[in-house]
Amino acid sequence: MSDSTFRRRTAWGVFPVLAVLLFCLPGVAHAQALEGQVRDSDRQPLLGVNVFIPALQRGAVTDEAGRYVIANLPAGMHTVEFRFIGFKTVTRTVTLAAERVTLDVTLEPEALELEEVVKVAEGPHAALNRATLSVSRLEPKDVEQLRGQTLAETLDHLPGVTTLTTGPSIAKPVIRGLHSQRVLVLNAGVPQEGQQWGGEHAPEIDPFAPVRIEVVRGAAGVEYGVGAIGGVIRLEPRELPTSPVLRGSVSMNGFSNNRQGSGSMLLESGLRALPGFGWRVQGSFRKAGASRTPDYVIGNSGFEELNGSVAVGYHNDRYGLDAYYSHFGTELGLFRGAHIGNFDDLQRAIERGEPNVQYDFSYSIDPPKQTVRHDLLTLRGHYVLGSGDRLEMQYGLQRNRRQEFDAHRRFGDPLDDPAFDLTLTTHTLDVKLKTKPRGSLFGVVGVSGMNQGNVNVESGYLIPNFRALTGGAYARATWVRGAWTVEAGTRFDYRWLKAFPRESRQEGFVRRTHSYASLSGVVGAIWQFAESWSMAANFGTAWRPPGVNELYNFGVHHGTAQFEVGNADIGGERSYNLDVTLRHVTDRARLEVSVFNNMMDGYIHLFPEPEPRVTIRGTFPSFRYVQTDALLRGFDGLVEYRVLDFLRLGVQASVVRGDDRAADESLIFMPADRLTLSTAFSLPDMGVLRASQVELEGRFVSRQTRFPEGVDYADPPDGYTLFSAGYRTELMWGTTPIQLSFSIENLFNTAYRDYLSRFRYFIDDPGRNVVLRLQIPLGLSDS
Amino acid sequence: MYRSLSKYLTFALSLALLTVVFAACDSNEPDDEGPGEEELITRVVLTLTGGGQTVTATANDPDGDGTNFQIDTINLTAGTTYTGSIELADDINGEDITEEIEEEDDEHQFFYTVGGGAAGRVTVTITDQDDDGLPVGLRFTVEVSAGDAASGTLRVILSHFDEGPKDGVNMSDETDVDVTFPVNIQ
Repeated sequence: MSDSTFRRRTAWGVFPVLAVLLFCLPGVAHAQALEGQVRDSDRQPLLGVNVFIPALQRGAVTDEAGRYVIANLPAGMHTVEFRFIGFKTVTRTVTLAAERVTLDVTLEPEALELEEVVKVAEGPHAALNRATLSVSRLEPKDVEQLRGQTLAETLDHLPGVTTLTTGPSIAKPVIRGLHSQRVLVLNAGVPQEGQQWGGEHAPEIDPFAPVRIEVVRGAAGVEYGVGAIGGVIRLEPRELPTSPVLRGSVSMNGFSNNRQGSGSMLLESGLRALPGFGWRVQGSFRKAGASRTPDYVIGNSGFEELNGSVAVGYHNDRYGLDAYYSHFGTELGLFRGAHIGNFDDLQRAIERGEPNVQYDFSYSIDPPKQTVRHDLLTLRGHYVLGSGDRLEMQYGLQRNRRQEFDAHRRFGDPLDDPAFDLTLTTHTLDVKLKTKPRGSLFGVVGVSGMNQGNVNVESGYLIPNFRALTGGAYARATWVRGAWTVEAGTRFDYRWLKAFPRESRQEGFVRRTHSYASLSGVVGAIWQFAESWSMAANFGTAWRPPGVNELYNFGVHHGTAQFEVGNADIGGERSYNLDVTLRHVTDRARLEVSVFNNMMDGYIHLFPEPEPRVTIRGTFPSFRYVQTDALLRGFDGLVEYRVLDFLRLGVQASVVRGDDRAADESLIFMPADRLTLSTAFSLPDMGVLRASQVELEGRFVSRQTRFPEGVDYADPPDGYTLFSAGYRTELMWGTTPIQLSFSIENLFNTAYRDYLSRFRYFIDDPGRNVVLRLQIPLGLSDS
Repeated sequence: MYRSLSKYLTFALSLALLTVVFAACDSNEPDDEGPGEEELITRVVLTLTGGGQTVTATANDPDGDGTNFQIDTINLTAGTTYTGSIELADDINGEDITEEIEEEDDEHQFFYTVGGGAAGRVTVTITDQDDDGLPVGLRFTVEVSAGDAASGTLRVILSHFDEGPKDGVNMSDETDVDVTFPVNIQ
């Protein structure tokens, strides 16, 4: 069926919809069914196509005649996806008013080779064969339901992912106990390169960007190169539109706790004159004041963020070219009371247990504060060779400027003179050849290079100027036959580093060079042992060279009053990660449970030195970067079950155990065990309200009882339980479906401190938050 | 169309490659004469005058980071009352910090604490005040009672108040100076 006949069908469908809207009563019966036939472009029926309605989590698979039926659907407009390996996914919007509605679809062969298709194919059963390593995925639709929050807060809902916070304005994702330089963020195909070394440096990502997010848990060095030792967060911009209809959306959010208002607007279209060309423009804004705990305001914890992106692309059967530019800009305040002088000040603050100053709510952002700008430009091209293999190239240019303003400055105004001001410029280039399937085998070979430079604009020299060159080459192959998928790969990387640390204050700067080289490898298999069950196993090894901060950091960290000393003699660290995942998917149930065993050799961490450091400012406990052997083990996963047609229950758990194998002790700052129970009730459609849902969630976090003795300043905080409740619906305004949601986080305004909150020494985490979200589609005239 | 796009593709990629190659040639070398240092105090000098003599004691941290930290012992005579003053300097940037504290005396206060065998024998009294009538501590007296030889410590803390207001009694959570001098009483 062509697009135009479909459009006619939709147009006719509008009248019954209006009729239903005018006359419908609460509690319309679930009597409608959707049926149809799926064929390929040669009119041959396709067997095994996944037909899926994401909003309802309902679906079916086509039979030998290419036919499918999904019965007992609520009346109204639904988006239906047709997915099949080797074919382009088709999305249709259909209006169900009559008892049975027929929707026939023709699928076009996919130009991509098989490996990509396996990743893209995402029906209920395709998830079984997604990856040999455990992967969680948030589709743009899921991302939208969490919009307005930071990347880390969005991912916090996934199993195995927790959050490291520095007050309410800074959050970093933690994957199975690892974060910062051990987690790679891949933004539009390019490894995000910011000043990632600090716990208080959040990833520079627009929370409103229209992306699909994938979280790979575990070492993935072959695919993603140096640094992907603990996991990978992949942000992939949604495909550009090809139809010449201008479409878009406007989102608005309000958050009660910090009185945050945020909004985003998106416009996209194709070009009638140039089929295959598409463009998208998107911008977002967030402004928040000080957050509050149940008992007090967290002074100076507001932020202001302005982001935008432009994407253009052209695709045809032989080649494609995409250009993407994004800007991220934020200014954020840090809780003033966490900026302390020396160790005695810290102990006084911990003993007091709450701020010594009563703060009032304010939107103003005063020092200590950070301003961060991140600009990213990517150019991506691919070309399908005569042999059917596919050549891909990608260039990325990033500029990250981070300014941190101290509470007071002697030489000038703290508002204008940052304590440090770093500009990190990174060029990346990747070239790879993806082979088309030959027999049961397909693969990829590639090379990649990176050139990175860091410059101190101001004083401080916390991180010296440096230049780093990294190059790598890799090959990976996948073999698919029957119920089995087997993959193997290897990669070699080399890094050369030239840094200019300051030997001492009198002697000035010196020049130091380092080079590191090593191999990564992976073997994995998936066995789909029953129709709706699969088992995946992955053994991967990855490494990362030491970061510049780990080599040359030298100075006091004022948030925690500790003196940190780099160690130029340390080498790289290596992970040997084994991951086994069990997956089960049916119409009613979904299960995904992984166990992992991540052995790390040369794990780099801060270790207390025997003697504290005595300075004019007082005494500071001193920590030095050293290497040890670590072992991280645990499991994470989720089970979702649709008990009744209108009732869904879910359980999710994350457990990590981190041990220092050399010292026979627990590792510090490992996330505490957590369990989330959730339930969702689908409500019958009422008047203009459709697809309504009430959700309740309880999150139980235990106290971390495993920590090294005598290293931390305060024992881990108690465990806590948080509840949240939400209602969301689709409000039909004419034919425009407006997405509306209302939720209350920390429902009972519980005072708590998370172990991975870096400010837990001083303050509680934020209290109750009432959130209102609204999204209005623009120009949604066709599907 | 195809041809021009291919050309553009080739051009863009060549440009990208060139950028990567040529950007590698810069030095990124830092400038030793670059902009100023972070806030530092590298030297604290106590000067005590009494009993016809002048006693000075210095705490010196020439690198500002504790690497070569040195501190003198204060030698006091029993039964003497001294008039004292304190000076602060940043020798790396050649700045006199004492002046700065005088200018911002409503945001600073020194706390002098006597410990060890000197406790009970030595009394420090602040003699200067800010505009609100609260003690500052740049000027003070040190009274040493008569008696046997003893040894102990004198801890000097400079609190910076720029959030919670100074009340003349409590320290802030932001300490600019915290040094402990050994004290000998003869």
